[in-house]
Amino acid sequence: MLLLAGTRKGLFLLRDGEIEGPLLPGWSVYHAIQDRRDGSLQVAANNFVYGGTFQRSTDDGKTWQRAEGLGLPEDSGLKLEETWHVEPGREDGEIWLGATPGVLFRSTDGGESFEAVQSLIEQPTRERWEPGAGGMCCHSIQLDPSDPDRMYVAISAAGTFRTDDGGESWAPKNEGVAADFFPEPDNFPEVGQCVHKLLLHPQRPERLWQQNHCGVYRSDDRGDTWERLEGNGLPSGFGFPLALDPQDPDVAYVIPEEGAENRVTADGRIGVYRTADGGATWELASDGLPEPAWGAVMREGLSFDADGGVYFGTQSGSVFASTDGGESWTELARQLPPVLSVEASWS
Amino acid sequence: MVVVLLPSLLAAQAGGQGRFEVDAATVEHALRQVPVADLLLDETGELRRLVNVYVDGTDTRTLDGLHTPLDGAREVRVIAAVAGG
Repeated sequence: MLLLAGTRKGLFLLRDGEIEGPLLPGWSVYHAIQDRRDGSLQVAANNFVYGGTFQRSTDDGKTWQRAEGLGLPEDSGLKLEETWHVEPGREDGEIWLGATPGVLFRSTDGGESFEAVQSLIEQPTRERWEPGAGGMCCHSIQLDPSDPDRMYVAISAAGTFRTDDGGESWAPKNEGVAADFFPEPDNFPEVGQCVHKLLLHPQRPERLWQQNHCGVYRSDDRGDTWERLEGNGLPSGFGFPLALDPQDPDVAYVIPEEGAENRVTADGRIGVYRTADGGATWELASDGLPEPAWGAVMREGLSFDADGGVYFGTQSGSVFASTDGGESWTELARQLPPVLSVEASWS
Repeated sequence: MVVVLLPSLLAAQAGGQGRFEVDAATVEHALRQVPVADLLLDETGELRRLVNVYVDGTDTRTLDGLHTPLDGAREVRVIAAVAGG
């Protein structure tokens, strides 16, 4: 099993008890995956001096190729700031890349080059989008496996957007999602929601989940309407990461934080909360996790693999794993730089 | 001919090479010839805010920026600004 831990100071590979890294030292790895189609490592790597990049390795991280000329069209008036999320596409060589300021890129040549998706740049509500603390980041990209023309993006703080026409146009999908940082009665706007992570269930693709700045939500109608799921065991609706069990559409995991004004894990412990009934009830899964602890897990910091493993990394540099659906946890690494993303290899 | 010197992080992105000899009339012309030009200049062609470029020890922002001529210059040195954490 290979686990990719993207950190504030490079990429680490965790494999059979060994830690390799940092790869790409000096780069903040916001997200790193191993593409199951060809085994390549693909990374959204950022440096506060040199900007946002996409980097790819076909030799397990020994050498890296940077997508060159990654940038936004001059007539957009926008400049690329940071890259946030890598999502393998449907076609050979297709890779999607989410970035700040609220933009999406597509590659059709395996990541050698990318082109900005103009229709999202021109989304008519863009002028009402506001950057969150992480900038106006496009951090979630989800492809509907049942319809080649449908996909979703989520942007902080703009909300969730869906295309049904292969990216020709994007519609806001935020009905029922609160934006409590606006005063009533304006706290359910068309756009401006601060979604923190959006995931689609691969076996039931009309079902979406989101961890939002203002609650945990599920949609069973492709994002047309959303149901708020907090309470019933969740200590807080605020948090960043989210993971789904690809084998069971009713199972989801979140790691709540105290709240927007105090961004540490809730109740003085690092606690993973699991639902097995579509979010109606939540149970704490913390056997083996530190307590007391005031940690934080970033939006890409929690993942689930095809074999039932659950993994997460903390801002305090630990990586934890569970092989029993969260019942018990083992620390795989500690004292890494702050962990920004964790992904299990699918190969 | 002028020598362009890169810090180690950029050298790693340039295949391990941190020293390039180029023929260039201006600072911009020199920077565009190194394989990390996209990390130095943004998509509009502007020098990134925290990238400093010195010609023979003088900050090009006190000269003519990217248009600074390299007549007789020996060295173009790229240095990241002191910032961040």
